[in-house]
Amino acid sequence: MATVRVVVNGAPVVMNVEDHELLLDVVRDRLRLTGSKRSCDLQVCGACTVLLDGLAISACTTLAAEIDGRALVTVEGLADGDTLHPVQQAFVDHGATQCGFCTPGMVMSVCALVAETPDADAQEVREYLSGTICRCTGYVKILEAAAEVLARGDDAAKRDE
Amino acid sequence: MSDRLVGQRVARTDAVDKVTGKAVYTTDLTMPGMMHAVLVRSPVPHGMLRSIDVSAAESHPGVVATLVGAEIAHLEPYYGEWVLDQPPLAIGKVRFVGEPVVGIIAETERAALEAAELVELDIDPLPTLATVDEALAACETAIHPDRTSADPDLPNVCYRAQFEHGDVDAAMASAAYVHRAVYRFPGVSHYAMEPHACLAAWGPEGLEMWSGTQQPFKVRADLARIFKVPLSSVRVRVPYVGGGYGGKGQSKYEPVTAALARKAGRPVRLVVPIEDSFRTVRRHAAVIEMATAVDAGGALVARETRVLFDTGAYADKGPRVAKKGAYRATGPYGIPNFRSVGLAVYTNTIPAGAMRGFSTPQVVWAGESAIDEVAEHLGEDPVAFRLARLAQRGDPYLANDTPLDADLRAGLQMAADVVRWDTDVPAGRGRGVAVGVKDGGGGTGSSQAVVRVHADGSVEVLVGTSELGQGARTVFAELAADELRTSLAAVTVRFADTDMVPFDRGTNASRSTVAVGSAVVDAARRAREEIGAAVQVVWGNFEEVALDGATVTAGSQIGSLRTLLATARGVPETEVSAIVAHGSHDVVASDTPLGSSTLFYEVGHGAAEVTVDEETGVVAVVSYASVADVGCALNPVNVEGQDEGATMMGIGHTLFEELEYDGGEPLNTNLFDYRIPRAQDVPDDFHTLLLELADGPGPHGSKGAGEGGIIPVAPAIANAVYQATGVRIRDLPMTPERVWRALRDARSDPNEEK
Repeated sequence: MATVRVVVNGAPVVMNVEDHELLLDVVRDRLRLTGSKRSCDLQVCGACTVLLDGLAISACTTLAAEIDGRALVTVEGLADGDTLHPVQQAFVDHGATQCGFCTPGMVMSVCALVAETPDADAQEVREYLSGTICRCTGYVKILEAAAEVLARGDDAAKRDE
Repeated sequence: MSDRLVGQRVARTDAVDKVTGKAVYTTDLTMPGMMHAVLVRSPVPHGMLRSIDVSAAESHPGVVATLVGAEIAHLEPYYGEWVLDQPPLAIGKVRFVGEPVVGIIAETERAALEAAELVELDIDPLPTLATVDEALAACETAIHPDRTSADPDLPNVCYRAQFEHGDVDAAMASAAYVHRAVYRFPGVSHYAMEPHACLAAWGPEGLEMWSGTQQPFKVRADLARIFKVPLSSVRVRVPYVGGGYGGKGQSKYEPVTAALARKAGRPVRLVVPIEDSFRTVRRHAAVIEMATAVDAGGALVARETRVLFDTGAYADKGPRVAKKGAYRATGPYGIPNFRSVGLAVYTNTIPAGAMRGFSTPQVVWAGESAIDEVAEHLGEDPVAFRLARLAQRGDPYLANDTPLDADLRAGLQMAADVVRWDTDVPAGRGRGVAVGVKDGGGGTGSSQAVVRVHADGSVEVLVGTSELGQGARTVFAELAADELRTSLAAVTVRFADTDMVPFDRGTNASRSTVAVGSAVVDAARRAREEIGAAVQVVWGNFEEVALDGATVTAGSQIGSLRTLLATARGVPETEVSAIVAHGSHDVVASDTPLGSSTLFYEVGHGAAEVTVDEETGVVAVVSYASVADVGCALNPVNVEGQDEGATMMGIGHTLFEELEYDGGEPLNTNLFDYRIPRAQDVPDDFHTLLLELADGPGPHGSKGAGEGGIIPVAPAIANAVYQATGVRIRDLPMTPERVWRALRDARSDPNEEK
């Protein structure tokens, strides 16, 4: 058992977690932030991607006890009330979501991409997003959404990272 | 009020829920008092269950109960589509690695997983029939010994279908050239990102089931039959579904979850690990033996096809797949003499069922590869060869069949133009095309819709369609809003809930836009007529009636809907009930080869340009064009997205996807070892074109969409690989190793030792 103090989507949280507890289970079952999804459970598909101190990580293979003192952002923490985060808005505008199960992880991956490599070219975007799988869209509209956010160079897109 | 919504690039009505994480899927659901279930699965591919010891598991802390198949044998436990052969938990024997044998119910998932380790299974092994060849040769071993083989000459045949017309043997005998080849298509996984999941609770009103199913009414019927309860006491509800592609049709884990909840006397949620979703259902692997004959003038005069579909351990939708595969194998060329046999063969592998394209990708892989091989033999250009022979609008697909509702030649030409077919191919590259045609809509079936217009002008659409990501709820909202002349924001499309929505046969066969969409338009039109009737009574005229929020306009008159209805009905404004209108759409039996007329033909054309690395065997798709013949794109963004997704899924089975086995042991049922297309795999030059000739039976001349794109991908790419290398690949997927070996074999001197 460990006590972790984290900032989750801007709000401080103190929790006791078991040594074996995975961050994804804590986020989904205890914090009831079910936007982060479990699919492959092997750090391959990216559906559970969250931002830890601004870096994209897979919550399915991260121990909750390891995040003490850090800042966690999940997909629920991006929008400002009814105003969507620019990456979310680009996904809506470009039709970049279908079944939606990959979408939270994909949105978080694009947020991390924009923060890490704001001048990424098309090939770099594809390489970066190849860590997140989508079975529905064929990626075309996701890549369009990412390209639009990058092209705008919108400061707001980076505000959380 | 506004311009028509359909045809515009309207954002999905669920997009905001999905990008914010608010969309709720079955895997997100909880319920007070809910228990967690874990299934213990067979470690062997085939065997008799001698004994099951659950005593240690039952005494494990947190465990509420266990369940074995023998406890439900007194019910009507077997389910399937045409062949009812699959039990919720193995009864008597096990037939594939991964078959559920024991259910564990515990207070936490962790406790259930720990207890699952304590179950002891004693299984007497039987011979493993891991392949179709082994199953058809195994006269002493029946995977389903209580069932008679559907083929009098072969064992382990689950279903046999045959379509025949003309005199095939005579046409073959007198043909100028007969091309014969065998093509192989792999068993691939749907890999819907949300694993199969159910939540079941028995209460005073019966069974409540939450499931990401594509067929809630079919699941309801199965549950009522299995548990011997009335339909009225089973409620199936479908929240957002994290991908289906056919893999969530039919009953899957609903029967076992309901049985576990009944045993526990508590709500039970089962979320299977993704590895077990891989082991739940897959696409049919297929071996396609095909002979295609041309006469001296180059006319296609006969085709004979035998398709062996590996249907795995249980029938699921395999019989229908075999039937449709046999039907579709002859192809859209008006070939006058054909014989086509489809066998669904049991093996000790993961059950195979519906998957996007439903047998068409398999048989078109063979058929469109063979067309190129025949054109090559005749020295003709593959596009010109097809353009001269493709069936024309109005021609029957097979003899005495529903007339073709598409311009195949126009679509193929569009695809060919994108890859600049008429220009020289750059050195080291190759181009290829293929045409995919599938009878759409799934045969006979009924769809109903209810539209409620409330006194404040808000509108509800009630339909049984599952929202799998295809955007059905968005397009239904658009159709209802247009028909009522109201805004998209005024319309809510309810999630499927068998207690609330009228019957629908299921979300499959690309049928929802045409069948359910037509029912929605019908219901909305009736609702608008009722508003019009009130306008007539109260205002004394009946011009174009429109809703704008709570306001009705008719010509120059404007008033509140509530006041209008209250006045017309002679009731107080506080007691104005909603207008409730029903709409329906039916496809009925007919005297055609399939036994029902085809609702529409789903057509996908593909054109590819590839490079092949002779050193490594890597095939790179440089350019790909997909033409989706959709009649009318009601929501162009969504229909493009469907086609792009279908095409990329096709690139998966063409270049890398395959469920691999060692005997009866599956080897790659996880994402480390099973390769799903990624963003890097999207061709640099990738196009989806929509062919809109308003020639479909759906609203505004629309047709179904979402499957067509996957159909031509493999043969288009293989035909391009042939042009690039001179080597014909007939086995999928075209992995680097397979291509490298084929190139090596073709390039090596046959007299030299390899």
